[in-house]
Amino acid sequence: MAEIESRLVNCFATAFPELDPQEIPSVSMGSLASWDSLAGITLLSLIEEEFDISISPDDAAGLVSFELILDYVRRLSSEVAK
Amino acid sequence: MTMKLAEALKVVQSVRSHAPPLQVALLCGFTPLHLETFLRAHLSKLFPGRAPNVQTGLYGDLIGNLQRVAGVSAAVVVIEWPDLDPRLGLRRLGGWEPSQLRDILGEVNRSRDLLQSSMAAVAANTPLVVCFPTLPLVPLSFTALSRASEFTLELRSRVASFSAALSHLPGIRIADPQRLDGLSSSRRLDVNSDLSAGFPYTLPHASALAEVLAGLVLNPPPKKGLITDLDDTLWRGILGEVGVQGISWDLDNHSQIHALYQQLLHSLAASGTLIAVASKNDLSLVKEAFAARDPILREADIFPFEVHWGAKSESVARILHAWNISAEDVVCVDDSPMDLAEIKAAHTGAECVLFPRENPQAAYDLLERLRDWFGKDKISQEDGLRAASLRANAELQHDIKQESPGALSDFFRQIDGKLTLSSQKQPLDSRSLELVNKTNQFNLNGRRFQEAEWQNWLNAPDAVFLTVSYRDKYGPLGKIAVIAGDLLDGVNVNGATTDSSGKRQLCIRTWVMSCRAFSRLIEYECIRWLFAKLDVDELEFDFLPTARNTPMQNFLRQVRNAPAEPHCRLSRAQFLQGCPTSSHVVEESPNG
Repeated sequence: MAEIESRLVNCFATAFPELDPQEIPSVSMGSLASWDSLAGITLLSLIEEEFDISISPDDAAGLVSFELILDYVRRLSSEVAK
Repeated sequence: MTMKLAEALKVVQSVRSHAPPLQVALLCGFTPLHLETFLRAHLSKLFPGRAPNVQTGLYGDLIGNLQRVAGVSAAVVVIEWPDLDPRLGLRRLGGWEPSQLRDILGEVNRSRDLLQSSMAAVAANTPLVVCFPTLPLVPLSFTALSRASEFTLELRSRVASFSAALSHLPGIRIADPQRLDGLSSSRRLDVNSDLSAGFPYTLPHASALAEVLAGLVLNPPPKKGLITDLDDTLWRGILGEVGVQGISWDLDNHSQIHALYQQLLHSLAASGTLIAVASKNDLSLVKEAFAARDPILREADIFPFEVHWGAKSESVARILHAWNISAEDVVCVDDSPMDLAEIKAAHTGAECVLFPRENPQAAYDLLERLRDWFGKDKISQEDGLRAASLRANAELQHDIKQESPGALSDFFRQIDGKLTLSSQKQPLDSRSLELVNKTNQFNLNGRRFQEAEWQNWLNAPDAVFLTVSYRDKYGPLGKIAVIAGDLLDGVNVNGATTDSSGKRQLCIRTWVMSCRAFSRLIEYECIRWLFAKLDVDELEFDFLPTARNTPMQNFLRQVRNAPAEPHCRLSRAQFLQGCPTSSHVVEESPNG
């Protein structure tokens, strides 16, 4: 599980290189000005690539913070594991 | 293995912001999104000293984007099916019923005409890379998917004719679908992404497509020469062991891959690539093999032969000297890893590649790599002359050594040297630009140009442009020199007086001459013509020393009787005082 979090931090760091890695776990669309719709698409594409998953457009609309995305990726990963 | 998005973003983020920009337009009808990122990343990797800036246009307006493009070094056009008719995409609902198929073909024709004229207009000033639809067709035809319908065959045929017609236009490079197929074999269409963001590609496909497109934006200069081994490389077998009749390159002896290698080398030689042999062998046996076995790669294709028992690195050094090019410009092919390592240690810039004699598949892959290394936009007249003129040059140098220095002018008169000069600026002459961008030694300042930059400069009314072709009794050398500069009529372009004497000046900003034309006093004839024909009083040279332009520095020192330095000048009187007498016939091209 910690490995998932660390890989997700890397995705955020690539999409938002200006962020301090320590800030990433608390970041959200509302708190980060550069997280606009284009950056959001890039971030989700990076996550799809990193975790080899497909995020549906319905799910994508709710993925607006690091915490929510971490829960989502963990859930998908455990479903795949089952 | 294609580049991943995470890697592409890191490459883009690591580009030095103060590097010279490389402005490229990416024109498409869909949201460019990750294709833009991948294109920037691949351009950054291909051109590490530049900072690529990719400009994009408006969604759904490919024609408008083409009409608005300006101020870029190159433009990349990516056409997908919806650009030919929106019904061929997923985001517009115009109907897929059978009755519409004929109308779709008609709409494709109209879009084709509009795209063709728009692209031709852009290509007149800017190099244009064009990619035709890469995505699978949507399931709009009424046949089952495995069966090609009349409609889809007709549609693909029209697109193929369209791309073939465009390929004839100067300044346009078409991305090869076969190359893309090799890089992008997985699923290409991303329905989710197309519907939600207007970006239709999967990430691996976008990455592969960007890699192909980036490679076409600014063609890397091709390698100039190939140095090949003989035994178990050009043919199968060790000549010294199996004899002339024992070597082979055919299906019966399971050595067809060597025949294909010879066939490729023969084709490269005919396209102007220099081919030499470096082999540890008995020269008389090798000569006998070429005479008795008639290989596909002819003896006449090869210059020089370095066949002896000495070190390969020494052979390569002599070949480079004979060709007058650097190690960076050559590829050495050999079946011996040890010989390749020995060559590489002495000539670090050379590409040294193993001929995998036991593995035809790997050898075939090598043939593809060789084609890529030596790939050219087009074959020029000079390409057909290169090997012959090098051979003739060796003969000329030998004859010159027999003459006393004072008799050289007489000698040049006897060899019937003839210069043909042309000042025609249009259409863009790719050979001239190639000379400017490839010549290192007799080069005024080492300055390189992109096509658009070169063309824009020459189009200026005060720009002077001269190309020089040469032939003598040793054969034609083709186009061997380019001079370009700006005429200053006592005033500069801002209207300020440049010289209180009001002298008419030519500022030469670019001057290159092929090393094949050295030792013929052609450079003096060029200066003589400029003074006489342009009626200028003084030449200013936009000279800069480079690591390799010693021949230019020596010439300027000799003609000015002073060391070469930036913005150095040469008056007509000064030139006439020290120049040798004219020894060539000079004629102007009828085309201007």
